[in-house]
Amino acid sequence: MASEKKDGYRKNFSLILTFIVLMSVLFLLSLGLAYRFSTKYIENEFVSEKVKVLEQSIKPYNDFFQKKLPEVSFYNGYLDSATASRFVDTVLLEYPFVSKVIFYDSEVSNTPVNDGLNTGKFSFGPKNIYQFGSLVPSDSIRLFSINDTRNFIVGDDFNALALKLVSYIESLDTTRIPTQDELFSNFSNVRSNKITYLNIPRLEDLKIYKDMLRKTLDPSPVYQQDMLSFQLDPYKIKIINPRPLLYQYIKMAPLTYDPLDTTAVYLSTEITLPGPFSDYKLFFISSKSFIDKEIFSYFFPIALAILFFYGILVLVAVLIYRNLNINQKMFKLQYDFVNNLTHEFKTPVSVIKIAGNNIKSAVTLTERELKLYGKILDEEADKLNGLMNKLLAFTQIENKSIQLNRDRIRIVDFIESTVESHRLKHPDFNFTYEVSGVSTFVTDPVLLGSLFDNLAENAYKYSPPERKKLHISARLIKGKVVFRFTDHGIGIPASEINNIFKKFFRIQNQYNQNGSVGLGLAFCKELVNFMEGEITVKSKVNKGSEFKIVLPYND
Amino acid sequence: MIGLKKYFFLVLVLLAFACQRQKETRTIPVDDFFKSQNKVGYRLSPDGKNLSYLKLKGADRNIYIEDIESGEGRIITQFKGINIVFYCWVSDNELIYYKETDAASNQSDMYIIDKEGKNERQLVKNEKSRLRIIDDQLMDDKYLLVSSNKRDSTAFDVYRLNVRNGAMEMAAKNPGNIIDWRTDAEGKLRLAISSDGVNSTILYRASETQPFKRVLTSNFKDTFRPIAFSHNRPNIIYAISDINRDKTALVEVDCNTGKEVKNLFCNDTLNITEAQYSRRKQKMSFVVYETWKKEKYFLDDSVRQVYANLDKLLPKTETRIFDWDEAENVFILRTFTDKNPGSYYLYFANRSKVRKLSDFNSSIREEEMCEMKHVSYQSRDGLLIHGYLTLPLNQKAENLPVVVLPHDGPVERNLWGYNPEVQFLANRGYAVFQVNYRGSSGYGKNFVAAGFKQWGSKIQDDIDDGVKWLVRNKIADPKRVGIYGTGFGGYIALNSLYLHPDTYACAASNAGVINLFTYLKSIPPYQKPILQMYYEIIGNPLTDIDKMRQVSPLFQTDKINAPVLLAQNIKDPNNNSSETMQFVKNLKKRDISVTYIENQGDMFAGKNGALRHKFYTTLDEFLEFNLKRK
Repeated sequence: MASEKKDGYRKNFSLILTFIVLMSVLFLLSLGLAYRFSTKYIENEFVSEKVKVLEQSIKPYNDFFQKKLPEVSFYNGYLDSATASRFVDTVLLEYPFVSKVIFYDSEVSNTPVNDGLNTGKFSFGPKNIYQFGSLVPSDSIRLFSINDTRNFIVGDDFNALALKLVSYIESLDTTRIPTQDELFSNFSNVRSNKITYLNIPRLEDLKIYKDMLRKTLDPSPVYQQDMLSFQLDPYKIKIINPRPLLYQYIKMAPLTYDPLDTTAVYLSTEITLPGPFSDYKLFFISSKSFIDKEIFSYFFPIALAILFFYGILVLVAVLIYRNLNINQKMFKLQYDFVNNLTHEFKTPVSVIKIAGNNIKSAVTLTERELKLYGKILDEEADKLNGLMNKLLAFTQIENKSIQLNRDRIRIVDFIESTVESHRLKHPDFNFTYEVSGVSTFVTDPVLLGSLFDNLAENAYKYSPPERKKLHISARLIKGKVVFRFTDHGIGIPASEINNIFKKFFRIQNQYNQNGSVGLGLAFCKELVNFMEGEITVKSKVNKGSEFKIVLPYND
Repeated sequence: MIGLKKYFFLVLVLLAFACQRQKETRTIPVDDFFKSQNKVGYRLSPDGKNLSYLKLKGADRNIYIEDIESGEGRIITQFKGINIVFYCWVSDNELIYYKETDAASNQSDMYIIDKEGKNERQLVKNEKSRLRIIDDQLMDDKYLLVSSNKRDSTAFDVYRLNVRNGAMEMAAKNPGNIIDWRTDAEGKLRLAISSDGVNSTILYRASETQPFKRVLTSNFKDTFRPIAFSHNRPNIIYAISDINRDKTALVEVDCNTGKEVKNLFCNDTLNITEAQYSRRKQKMSFVVYETWKKEKYFLDDSVRQVYANLDKLLPKTETRIFDWDEAENVFILRTFTDKNPGSYYLYFANRSKVRKLSDFNSSIREEEMCEMKHVSYQSRDGLLIHGYLTLPLNQKAENLPVVVLPHDGPVERNLWGYNPEVQFLANRGYAVFQVNYRGSSGYGKNFVAAGFKQWGSKIQDDIDDGVKWLVRNKIADPKRVGIYGTGFGGYIALNSLYLHPDTYACAASNAGVINLFTYLKSIPPYQKPILQMYYEIIGNPLTDIDKMRQVSPLFQTDKINAPVLLAQNIKDPNNNSSETMQFVKNLKKRDISVTYIENQGDMFAGKNGALRHKFYTTLDEFLEFNLKRK
């Protein structure tokens, strides 16, 4: 739309349009970016979150390793088959990945042993070997005893850890306190699917062990040591999936597992298990469509946020446009008002000027001429005065700077005086009135008169010459005084009915080409408001209008 | 204006109230309680003319000698640091002292020196053996009777040590299990005590030429302690014994028959702990028995007179004589009460005069200390349990925060007297409750035996009953009871948290036993008899494994839910420091508040004052946080 330069007011719709278009482009762009970001993010998560799965799934194992395993040491070698069995029972119950436990109830001494380890004077061998586990038949719990040495296998876990023990004692520095980590690593053996643990003796005992390597002590010492070998089953590890929407399937697999059918429609990753399970890995696989759901659920709130932001921007743009529009209308109204007002003032002023000129240029003035000019000057001055009063009163009422008088009036008299004054002015004005239910009420007679005058003036002004009629009714309804001014004028179009009470508003038509400033109805509304009443209008084009004034009835 | 006046009045009233309320108890610095004086080891020369002591000057401790008459003193040794572990007079002019060479293995060299600080000679060189003095009197002015394990590190033989040239000649060979040798008044070796750690056998011979014969054998549950030979009846010995009775008595035993001949002091309710024999008068002086405190029963009127006289000179205090001259005229004694660590005095019997030597701890003011009261109550199974209650100064005995202080063990007891730990806690506003739970010594052998294998069960109940008794008597605030102990005391404290979780708000353990298996493991496995004895006292890990597991705090971390303070000397050879770490870790994993202090040494050793300070400051804060701020 072109700018309406003649109003001196700029309205650039192309600017707003450009703004909205750019915003929309930005909106779409950010949506696209957000989607790309979501995709990348979820794909990254797919790779990085596996650590969490591993951590949570392996937690019972860590618990077992850090808390339960050292408990063997607490018994200080005093474990016997019965207590060991109870100990193992709690282990099996709490840690399902432990499948079988072999308990070597053994002794350290200076006496060489047949089964076990002899180094120098140091001997370390089992007295009894037991196995515990849910699948171990009750008749094969004891694997080995001094009398039945069949089941001792060289190269067994026992010898492996025993060797470790001996080499540790050999290199033991007895002058300092060994650290816990050092002790733990030397008294345990972690192998594939198996942890062997030997109870850690006190430092004093270790010193004696060291002596026992070199010489036979007297009296010959015998120290109890408990070795437990835990057989672990990685498939029994309960896999905890904290992101079920990210990982469709997680499974335990050997390290070499590498399925061929991982085509492009699948996303897969893997992570190796720690410690004794290092031959195994967790294998994660999800189909692309599965991942898409997760991407969407991640993207959706972002998109929503962007949309919300965009919505606010558009709303702001619309509001700015609306404000511009209203301001433009206001500007136009004021412009018209000044035009009309000038016009309105111009007429009496020019008449006064002509009269003045005539008086000035005339040599003599007859009595009749003198009276005529005097009357003209008086009338035109009254007109100007009336105009100014109206403008002043309106401003006063609008600013609520006048006091409301309270006088008791008789309604019939009041209407009659209004009718009388208008009949005088316009002999062709046809008045009727009716009053029912109320005869007097308390109000400000000046304001009410002003109101009546304005409405009557409008009724006359906006009626075609053959239908200049006005019917005034006054009634008491529900404790309120209701006045109705019904005319048969040109009526008000429905589209304008909301605007007629606005300042400087006039309907463009032939009846108000001059002599109107568009203040009348706005003034009426201000008056009624000031009197704590209401004014409404019903109208039909070319049929007439009805103004209804509701005032409080103070009696 | 009126309003202002009102406020002014209110302020005045408040001020007056605050002033009048109570005398504020001064919070005494931690170190003041544990200070020890710099002069220790007072000794008298046999002629009673010289006084000797070990004095700490700076970081060095040396022997000083003071002439009693003139008061002139001099230093006779010149060592840097604290090296002298023991010294004694061997004649009027000579002293013997031990100089520590290796603190870890208790190795020391032995020197002789005269009272002028001259003629210092090394008598015995450290050969990885140890030497003990059996009788501190020189025989023939040159021989000292000593025992040494230089022949066999596990057995002590008796030697005559020539202090003139350092030569040692064997006086008696140890057959392998003699742990103690005794001489008669003439210095003749006539009594030996053999032991396998559990059963001790008294061996006797009439003269040094004869072989030793068995007199009697007593079990570890019994007490049989020879005191002295009777002067004119060479086969009679005085001994403290509770064989065939519950309480220990002073008896005469015929060494030929092994039978008791006579009761010198025997009472069904009193337990004797000491007996004093006077060499000069050649008779028994008195016996000491324990009730709630140590008391004497005099067997010699002249000795009674001495103590009666002392009571007049030093009223309202306990006195203990611990050294005297040969003539029994000059005495060194120490005084103490529950509120006063006491002082050292010289007492001259002939002049009936005392001379103060030094205060034990001059930082302690008696009026700031709290009274230690003896209390007793019935346990749930009807046993009478004795204990001590120390209430904080200037406070009503009502609804107080309580610290229960179980003593170490096994078979020990609390006694009345100045206890720095108790006073420290009472000064901080806690009522301190000490319990001689079953198994404690001093109440007869049945009471000791009642505590066998009751760790974590009836012993624990005794203490719990005590707390209940305090609560019933409205002394204790049931919500503010803490428990703190050392060694087995610490074990009891930690056990309390899961055996009686509702009673205690927190527990502190210093070097506490956290695993009974480890405790038993500290006894070498080849010492079978001793092991058997401990199996009986603590429990047998082979048969009672489940029970012992249940009463070892290390296994029970899942049930502990209150804040714990743990202090551990990681250099303690009898402790498995990794277990302590595991204990702390397991508690921390469960989000239990654990304050852990790791010490690199024994905090009660004199030189480790900094460790002690740290521990007690932490304990103070720990108790303050968990008991007072509730």
